[in-house]
Amino acid sequence: MTIWRQIAILFRLQLRDEMRTGEVTAVVVPFGAIALLVIPMAVGIETTLLSRIGPGLFWAVVLLFGIVVTQRRTAAASPAHRDALSLLGVDPAARFAATALASAILLLGFEIATGLAMIVLYDPVVVGWGWLAMVLPLVALGLGMLGTVAGSVADGRGPLAPLLVAPLAIPILLGAAQASEGLRLGVGILRWVLVLALVDVVLALVGVLTARPLEGTSS
Amino acid sequence: MRPIEIAAAGTMLTALVAGLVVPPDAVQGDLQRIMYVHVPSAWLAYLAFAVTLIASVAHLVTKRLDWDRRAGASAEVGVVFTGLALATGMIWGKPVWGVWWTWDARLVLTAAMFFVYLAYLALRRSVDDPVIRGRRTAVFGIVAALQIPLVHFSVIWWRSLHQPPTVLRPGEPQIDPPLLFALLMAVVAFTVLYVALTRRRVDLAAAEDRLLTTGRFDEPVAGAAIAAPASKEAP
Repeated sequence: MTIWRQIAILFRLQLRDEMRTGEVTAVVVPFGAIALLVIPMAVGIETTLLSRIGPGLFWAVVLLFGIVVTQRRTAAASPAHRDALSLLGVDPAARFAATALASAILLLGFEIATGLAMIVLYDPVVVGWGWLAMVLPLVALGLGMLGTVAGSVADGRGPLAPLLVAPLAIPILLGAAQASEGLRLGVGILRWVLVLALVDVVLALVGVLTARPLEGTSS
Repeated sequence: MRPIEIAAAGTMLTALVAGLVVPPDAVQGDLQRIMYVHVPSAWLAYLAFAVTLIASVAHLVTKRLDWDRRAGASAEVGVVFTGLALATGMIWGKPVWGVWWTWDARLVLTAAMFFVYLAYLALRRSVDDPVIRGRRTAVFGIVAALQIPLVHFSVIWWRSLHQPPTVLRPGEPQIDPPLLFALLMAVVAFTVLYVALTRRRVDLAAAEDRLLTTGRFDEPVAGAAIAAPASKEAP
């Protein structure tokens, strides 16, 4: 079986698991929307200010709740699960790619749902939909890969994974926030899109190249 | 005491004298002398984390534990000097900018780098087995290095309160020769200190691993010879 076929099967199984448990759609998405609802209570009812800072708050929520999406129960593989996949001849790089892709798809859904909530609640100026259609998947893919690498490295040490992801996700958060700010100001954002793409390429290389060394390090 | 440690003490003393005898800055006066600690600390942060990256890659390729120990030791020393760079930056920033902290790209990203490597050290402490620890932290050490160019170029990419590079820039350095000399002395002294500290920490890490793998926990320890008084048995 080719590595692409392995990725496709594992990816489909991960999304099916999510459909059954509803961990992201029924828990994390509403929780993210609640965060967007609660934050203005700390800022006050100054709607102009909220409209101005809305996109930045949205990206902060995507980062913090995105970590929860990548560390969902269905993305974690027990040592027995990993051993079974190894015995079946599944490439560790395929497992990384499938988990990262499934996380990215779920994160994209999370971004769209909370993005719509942010537009309704904060009424920001949203321009450059074409650029946003590139930025949102790039951010989702980057966070998905980073979360998957951190999940493998932390391996069941629950509180450690968010600490590993959050500071490392800052290049992604900065790229996304600067891109949306650039769209609002009407300046070119190509370099921020390239920064996001570069981070994604580096993370993909790290994830694929280190999948095998990380295999068999469960303790 | 090792020769490198004697060299570290000597160069630190020379750098201290140089930093005190060079003329003060025309604008900031004596306040600018904090630069002779702040800039070398920031340089060591870059150097230490770059060494962690190289040692992490080397460990994954060779699977030799001494590379993992070098990576860990370098990160530990790097975190100390990143903390020192942040602290001296805040002390310098208060009289110059009027605030201890501001949401400037260089400051925020340096603080983020500090937390990334604190997480790296937390990860090292969370795994006992040296082989498993080595592989996991090597992967994290490679990903963490993404922060280094971001921190360095942040003052160029964003409008920043922090000044752009003065020495490591295209063209001539924008600093007077006596001040540049004192700064370079401080950089050399801090670098020698980094080598001395890292070597000492690598040896300590090797001793820790030997203790873990040789399993000498069942040997008698101080006080083991003292026996509890025998209980009086009924006649």
